[in-house]
Amino acid sequence: MPNWPTETKYISHATPRIDGVAKVTGRARYSSDIQEKGWLYGMILRSKWPAAKILSVNLDLARQIPGIKAAVVAREGEFTVRYYGEEIAAVCGTSKQACLDALRAIEVKAEVRHEFVVNENEARKENAPEVWDGKPNSTTPRVRENGSVDAAFSECAAVIEGFYSTAVQIHNPMETMGNTISWTEEGVTAWSSTQGISSVRDGLAGSLKLDQSRVRVITEYMGGGFGAKFGAGVEGLLAAKLSKAAKAPVRLMLTRFDQALAVGNRPSSFQKIKLGAKADGTLHAFDAENYGTGGIGAGGDGGGGGGGADIPMPYLYKVPNTRVKQSAVAVNAGPSRAFRAPGNPPASFGMESALDDLAAKLGLDPVELRLKNDPNEIRQREYKLGAEKFGWKEKYKKPGSSVGVVKTGVGCAGGAWPAGGGNKNTQGEAQINPDGSIEIRLGVQDIGTGTRTVIAVVAAEILGLKPEQITVKVGDTRFPPGPGSGGSTTCPSVSPTVFDVCTKALEQLQTQSGLADARGKNWFAACKKLGVNPLVVHGKWQEGLSASRAGGVQFAEVEVDTETGFVTVKKILGVHDCGLIINQNTLESQINGGIIMGMGYALYEERVMDDLSGVVLNPNFETYKLPGIADVPEIEIILVNMPERGVIGIGEPATVPTAGAIANAVANALGVRVGSLPITPAKVLAALGKVPPAHA
Amino acid sequence: MKNFAYATALSPASARTLVASNGAYLAGGNDLLGLLKEYLISADTLVNIKSLPGLDKIERGKKFWTIGALVTVAQIEHDAEIKKTFPGLHEAASDVASQQIRNVATVGGNLAQHSRCWYYRHRDVPCLKKGGDLCYARSSENRYHSLFTGNDCISPVVSSLATIFTALDATAVVWRDGQELRWSMAELYAEAWRHRLAHNSLQPGDLILRVEIPTARRRSAFLQVSDKHAFDWALVSCAAAAEVVDGKLKSPRVALGSISNVPHQVEAANSFLDGKVLDDDVATQAANLILQNAKPLEHNAYKVPMAHALIRRALLKLKGDA
Repeated sequence: MPNWPTETKYISHATPRIDGVAKVTGRARYSSDIQEKGWLYGMILRSKWPAAKILSVNLDLARQIPGIKAAVVAREGEFTVRYYGEEIAAVCGTSKQACLDALRAIEVKAEVRHEFVVNENEARKENAPEVWDGKPNSTTPRVRENGSVDAAFSECAAVIEGFYSTAVQIHNPMETMGNTISWTEEGVTAWSSTQGISSVRDGLAGSLKLDQSRVRVITEYMGGGFGAKFGAGVEGLLAAKLSKAAKAPVRLMLTRFDQALAVGNRPSSFQKIKLGAKADGTLHAFDAENYGTGGIGAGGDGGGGGGGADIPMPYLYKVPNTRVKQSAVAVNAGPSRAFRAPGNPPASFGMESALDDLAAKLGLDPVELRLKNDPNEIRQREYKLGAEKFGWKEKYKKPGSSVGVVKTGVGCAGGAWPAGGGNKNTQGEAQINPDGSIEIRLGVQDIGTGTRTVIAVVAAEILGLKPEQITVKVGDTRFPPGPGSGGSTTCPSVSPTVFDVCTKALEQLQTQSGLADARGKNWFAACKKLGVNPLVVHGKWQEGLSASRAGGVQFAEVEVDTETGFVTVKKILGVHDCGLIINQNTLESQINGGIIMGMGYALYEERVMDDLSGVVLNPNFETYKLPGIADVPEIEIILVNMPERGVIGIGEPATVPTAGAIANAVANALGVRVGSLPITPAKVLAALGKVPPAHA
Repeated sequence: MKNFAYATALSPASARTLVASNGAYLAGGNDLLGLLKEYLISADTLVNIKSLPGLDKIERGKKFWTIGALVTVAQIEHDAEIKKTFPGLHEAASDVASQQIRNVATVGGNLAQHSRCWYYRHRDVPCLKKGGDLCYARSSENRYHSLFTGNDCISPVVSSLATIFTALDATAVVWRDGQELRWSMAELYAEAWRHRLAHNSLQPGDLILRVEIPTARRRSAFLQVSDKHAFDWALVSCAAAAEVVDGKLKSPRVALGSISNVPHQVEAANSFLDGKVLDDDVATQAANLILQNAKPLEHNAYKVPMAHALIRRALLKLKGDA
């Protein structure tokens, strides 16, 4: 079995992003920067009804708009739309304005259905309108039970009951979804903003009925993806159809408005939790019911396919007597998609909130309660490390004991990610040129996380070179196949592969050159002996260099103004493990990003649907609120390096505990719990009992 | 957006002629371009007024200061003399949007901006304010809406400058067909109180030229609370201004934004405060008076305690060290 080197120059050290300069100078080309000869803008017409039967779509007038080169329907014949924003047709033309004019010229005949439901609590009611005809909106609850739950509660010294809810979170990467697609007689080339060039290639080939060999997907640079960007999407297929019809490349990037409607979100959760413990804090009984909506992607009897609204309960903890009942609810809204650590942030928020409520009732310190019950030894270490660094013992006061109008509070929470291991099918190659230059090629995509830099760091380490000497080529399906960037698997897929490629390349270079050690100062001499032909060496992922299951704990310190309800996060401390650290810089960036995203989940983000019109009311950054730089607190990170475990991904676990830690800190400050995310000033004031009733 | 002609005006008279019956004045464009792009309004001609002479100046006077309609919010924010003379105005300007927006946003545009109600701004919702027959907010998502209204539209005025100008008792000078109208802030928004379709009292072709601020109130303060720390609309904003003579308030005025379709002020509260020495009790009584007729809806009742806190805090800020 191969082993990572123990004495390292770059691995586990800090290397700046190798593409940082290209990014900040604008030289890095994103999908929306691609300007192939004769390219056209593409745009989508979306349903303005939450439920309707589309009878006909007439594109004639749209095609007559000056500058318009093609128009296509999203679906042939009559079809049903089930949410505001579902795709109806698309156009392409020489200017954005021509497209906008054309969208307004499309005539849609529809039978509008006035019965629809966009709120999951309404959708669960008996006489609610059916999202999927003839099928219940709610799935039959799935029940899992261990032990004797009802009896166990009577054996508890303390029992709490709480209701914890989280809002639908919209996928809003900096770069919206979209593609530039060119469909010629040779085939399709797609410049995609994607987390998976291979899955987009296969998806496009399947949908367009083309050989996979005739579809090429390129992602040079990518502005973020959190689980929603694995396929070409409806927008990709429409761009391809438009390109074929117009005989020109079509750039169809979604607008921020589009982004809010149809391309995925994190399901909501409504968690009713009853939790009991023995006097010493040992968890003994857990009874929970949870439901959430995955939009039209949920629904009874497989109507919408499930929706992925389930969350792991009782999350990190083993409670001997446990009953969990979960269901998913369909509403007339855009479907859910995987979203950074699916299920985990709401699970952590709910369970960690319940734990703190229980700690308060038992009169126990929340960190002690976790040390008592968390079965994971690494997190045990992390809680101890974190509490020490954070000054938990000095800062923690009984809930509600902070005096004055502006109260302070602290909280903690744990998180985990069960996956994060490597993709066994990852391959790569190195081309070593006689002049000593070297190129590593791997069909992975760098979605902004620093994958290029990780590849350069590993290659530099093995070959005794500097990271900047390594030319890294990623983001092209013509390279050896790499993993999709999801599930925190990229780094543990790519690092062992580059290790293997470079180890083999080095062996071969040494054999061919006759030098016993071709690394470092011997590199150029060895390469020179290659003569005129470069050396190309293939390698693949190897067992033993990576693992899965990372976790972490976070501590939050907040200030809450009890007269205005305004919450300020003063500090977040994150203590995280992900096996062997490859590059400290990009790892810390991932954790910073995860914490900031978790802050958005805790305090700001919420898709607001309107019951009356069925529209998303906040399809923009004016009212769909994301953390800005002024909201971001001091973030401190402690990395627990565990080289013996091999490489594990950090993308998902970094965002899991943040909301729970912040919510617990707010509850600690106030002495009452705001059980619903996002924790807005309005909800804080309501929890404090300061909000008068509505005027009759 | 629809096609439009573009022209630059060099005098208010030529601006008026160019804007004709269905044009719009363009200065910073923050609000106007958004409205045009969303097809919420249309204009045949955009009349660039950025070259109108003299309107980009802050002029200091003994009795009052004049702020031209083309003065940017950033100019106000960074003017050291304003910070000294009208601290509340400095604070209000600093809280507007982001630095980039403040750099181009003008005083005239800030005062004349349309409602931010998310139903009004939504391209596919035919709400009352757009001539529809239903106020969706009233029975649905009204967390950002008004506690007070004079008609059946409950979208609040959100101009922070209007809030502080109201407290400072400023006058807006409006050019209407060759005449200069002098309006109090109450008059500038009176029509929005009366009529669901109105955002303010300006009629087509009316042009705000300048704002005159009396120097009579040397103490002023502005506070707002938003969901976020910066670059976010106020959930409630509050401005207070007064002169303090021998520790007593003289000509005090309190105004609130984002809770009514006009800058909200209550004369009874201003009279109550006149001559009082500020303390917690006095501030609380004033807050009670200002909010006593509030009609909270299902999701915006939190604005009552929030406004109450801001009124008290803004008033107590007037005390300063004296």
